[in-house]
Amino acid sequence: MNSKGNIFNIQHFSIYDGPGVRTTVFFKGCNLRCKWCHNPESISPKNQIEFYSDRCIGCGACFKACPNGVHVLDDKQMHMINRAKCIGCLACADVCFANAITAVGKYVDADYVFASIMEDYLYYSNSKGGVTFSGGECMLQIEFLYEILKRCREKGIHTAVDTAGNVPWSSFERILPLTDLFLYDIKAADPALHKLLTGAENVRILNNLERLSASGKQILVRIPFVPECNDGQIPGIAGILKSLNISRVEVMPYHKLGDNKYTALGMDNELKAVEVPTEAMMDRAVEILVSEGLNAVKT
Amino acid sequence: MLQTDRVILSQLYSQRVNGLREDKLKINEFKRKEIGHQDFDDWGFVHYPDFKFEARPNHPSGLVYGYVAIGEHLRRFFNEIPKYINKNSALAGAWIGPLQNFVRMGIIPEDQPSDLKEVWAKYNTFPGFGGMNHCAGDIEIGLKLGWGGLLDKIRHFREFNSPADTSFYDGEELVVLGMQEWTGALALEAERMAQEESDPDTRKNLLEIAEINQWLVNNPPRTLREACQFIAHFQTLDRTYFAGGAMDQLDEVLRPYYEKDMEAGILTDEQAVWYVASLFFNDTHYSQIAGLTPDGSRDMTSRMSFIILDAMHYLRIPANIALRVHDDVNPQLLRRSLEYMLEDGTGVSYSCNIGCEQGYAKNGYPLQLARMRAKVGCNWTAIPGREYPLQDVTRCNLGFAFHYAMEDIRCGEPSLEALFERFCHHTKIIVDSIKSGYDRHYEVIGRNTPELVYNLFMHGPVERGLNCSEGGVDILNFNIDGVGMATVADSFAAIEQRVVKEGRITWQELFDVLDKNYEGAENIRLMLKNISRLGCPGSEAQKWADRIRNHYVWCCKHEGTPKYNLPIIPGMFSHGNIGELGAKLPATPNGRKAGEAISHSNEPDPGFAAGIDSFSPSLKANAVAALQPGYGNSSPLHLDIDTDMLGKAGGIDALISLIHTHNQMGGTLINLNCLTGKKLLEAHEDPSRHPDLVVRVTGYSAFFASLSKEYRQQVVDRFLSSRK
Repeated sequence: MNSKGNIFNIQHFSIYDGPGVRTTVFFKGCNLRCKWCHNPESISPKNQIEFYSDRCIGCGACFKACPNGVHVLDDKQMHMINRAKCIGCLACADVCFANAITAVGKYVDADYVFASIMEDYLYYSNSKGGVTFSGGECMLQIEFLYEILKRCREKGIHTAVDTAGNVPWSSFERILPLTDLFLYDIKAADPALHKLLTGAENVRILNNLERLSASGKQILVRIPFVPECNDGQIPGIAGILKSLNISRVEVMPYHKLGDNKYTALGMDNELKAVEVPTEAMMDRAVEILVSEGLNAVKT
Repeated sequence: MLQTDRVILSQLYSQRVNGLREDKLKINEFKRKEIGHQDFDDWGFVHYPDFKFEARPNHPSGLVYGYVAIGEHLRRFFNEIPKYINKNSALAGAWIGPLQNFVRMGIIPEDQPSDLKEVWAKYNTFPGFGGMNHCAGDIEIGLKLGWGGLLDKIRHFREFNSPADTSFYDGEELVVLGMQEWTGALALEAERMAQEESDPDTRKNLLEIAEINQWLVNNPPRTLREACQFIAHFQTLDRTYFAGGAMDQLDEVLRPYYEKDMEAGILTDEQAVWYVASLFFNDTHYSQIAGLTPDGSRDMTSRMSFIILDAMHYLRIPANIALRVHDDVNPQLLRRSLEYMLEDGTGVSYSCNIGCEQGYAKNGYPLQLARMRAKVGCNWTAIPGREYPLQDVTRCNLGFAFHYAMEDIRCGEPSLEALFERFCHHTKIIVDSIKSGYDRHYEVIGRNTPELVYNLFMHGPVERGLNCSEGGVDILNFNIDGVGMATVADSFAAIEQRVVKEGRITWQELFDVLDKNYEGAENIRLMLKNISRLGCPGSEAQKWADRIRNHYVWCCKHEGTPKYNLPIIPGMFSHGNIGELGAKLPATPNGRKAGEAISHSNEPDPGFAAGIDSFSPSLKANAVAALQPGYGNSSPLHLDIDTDMLGKAGGIDALISLIHTHNQMGGTLINLNCLTGKKLLEAHEDPSRHPDLVVRVTGYSAFFASLSKEYRQQVVDRFLSSRK
């Protein structure tokens, strides 16, 4: 079996997505709409284009290649992209050699991904590292994920699945025997606020976390800490986590490294004006979690 | 139980080491203003702009050549140069620049290989003919005998061998006499300075320097400080004569002195740090620490290895120390070196035992000998005192082999296989011409520019009365370094993808845009450049690079030199010469314009990662490891790591993993910089803002501010591409 999936990045020598040196495979498509998302290119399950106008050399190749008239000039003769018409065929990106238009997402087969993973096989054994599947929500492409996990298991490679947990429990059951570690995102304790911030309620997410905890699998919870959004949620999250089997909690500060991607994708960035949290805010969040007996750190 | 803790310096020694650094920065700034940029190691010379020296040519061409004439010049030079002593240093002396700045030395016209020069010019090749140094002495020979003992040895064997022509011994004798006179003069100068010195600590130090140097005129060193002083004098002499820079397995060389002094209660660790820091202030000779003993039974890490790291760390000026990595290397030493790397931005380089040792053994040498081959040059290794392995003096410019192959096929029916066949043809012409040059080198180098310094510190030359290049030592081999791998591999892959498979342009259109240097064809240039390039997993460029490497290695290895069958060992190393090597090369199909730099060694070009595989140090490291020539000579990996990324928890562990993995994959050398982008870019914009920024350029480290803008740009490009 060599199924295909949509991947938008493979990051080798990654050291922040689980133990040791890892390869992180980013799956495209997510069913949450977190306002702070720093990987906005991961949200849509379809292929997309990013446009970096500063790299454009004005060759016009994209205009000719596009079957749908997506590329137009505005009244100031500036290159504009009519995204409503874009079908994600990537014909424009294919002819943009200046990399002003770049493709986000590529349908690749499991052989391709696994070959890329195996490039760094020795690094895993020398660092007690492995592979992390992230996204987007990697569990939305569960059969593709299953197939790669299975190959990793056959080679004895440590595996981690980075998930927001908003998938049916059956998806967890599918990959449970093949996964060594879950990196589990918790964004808010309050269901209404969770829906406001992410577009979805957290009932299923928390139920899945509870069941995962009961399964005995190693879980590392990650909390994005976003001022003006979920910074008041730490006590509530701590209350949920303290009764569960969580090996470690990482509080991750909101950052603005994804800002230019919003522009390149033609997407609105609702949190553009929000500042990154201070060290004191981060320390306080960790303190609260630690006070509930959790092994918490900031990253 | 090995003591591994960091040495903490008291106020006195901290002031002295800091004083050395501050003086170094002042000396450096003065050199930069007076001489301009220098794209080499930050050698420890002190510049005296008013110093004059009279050359006395002994050939009608105006050259000085031969044992005696050069020996006479060296002796006189050391008598006349200023006697530099830094009050913060434990040691006396500094060199003032290479002798060839004052005296035209070289190979006389009648010994030149005029028949080969046309080929070398055509292919913009560095032929290696006439290359000097690039071998290593066994400094223990000098430490055991001292200058007096070396003089006795020369005189004994001159009499014992009674050669018809005694010029070998006469020349060597003149060199040693010059060093004795230099050492004695430094003793007198230290004494004079002590008499004028009001600070009691400094006066005491100067009197100790005077006493040490007076002893060393005739006698071998007894203590760690005396050993360091002797080595400093060796460094001064070695650098003066054709800028030699090879030292030895430094921790093992100094360990007996350290242990003896500690047992006698006359040494503290902080004094040891100061002595070694003073040695590094004197010059940036290349040394190795750690590694396996010849029988492979023990890691050589000792307390001295840690002290050497501490000295580098406290001094924080360029030093060229390599740590030999193997699976059982002392983990605390490796970790400490990386802790210092993250704190200081630069530090040791990492010489890899599997690629270096097992590779060298494939030439037919015992593995036990291979383990003795220490990293004593900017990229290269040698068995100290026992091998003449002329390395790092050639550049086989693969870019030109490719260019002429393109010219060959344009008249007929072009095809990739025809192109590769012609590329192989031209590569062989270059390699064969270098081999022929080596035959000539072997015949004439001794009678023109003999290895007057290394002969003294090798096993055999003095005993036999022979230059080390011609029977003085038992192990003789010659290196050829290929350069520009990615330029060529990416060019082949670009043609395969864009011309052959996709048919986006024709062969004729390709020739046309290359002829016009891509003028008016920027989109075609970018199309050719933006392929899956060398370094991307599974790229076609990687497959071409394998073929190129295999052919290149075959050219070097399938037979020795034509006349004497001298053994050749292939490497791939460009030093920093990629600008010079690309300057005359027309445009290439990898999107490189005419005159632009070619690629480093066998490394992927900056910015190679594309598509869904983003840049990572491991991708670059994997490509370099996979493309090693495989016979023990180096093809280094350069990595510029963003400290912001790796300064957090887990960063050092990741680097440890990277180093061990590169070693296990067959890599030979890792050169690391740990920098912040902010500081690097500020220094690039205005070098005077960060005069203390030390970077590893290729195999050597240097003050960033001292480099030319082109060399600084190389470091900046590498760093920026690593952050994408």
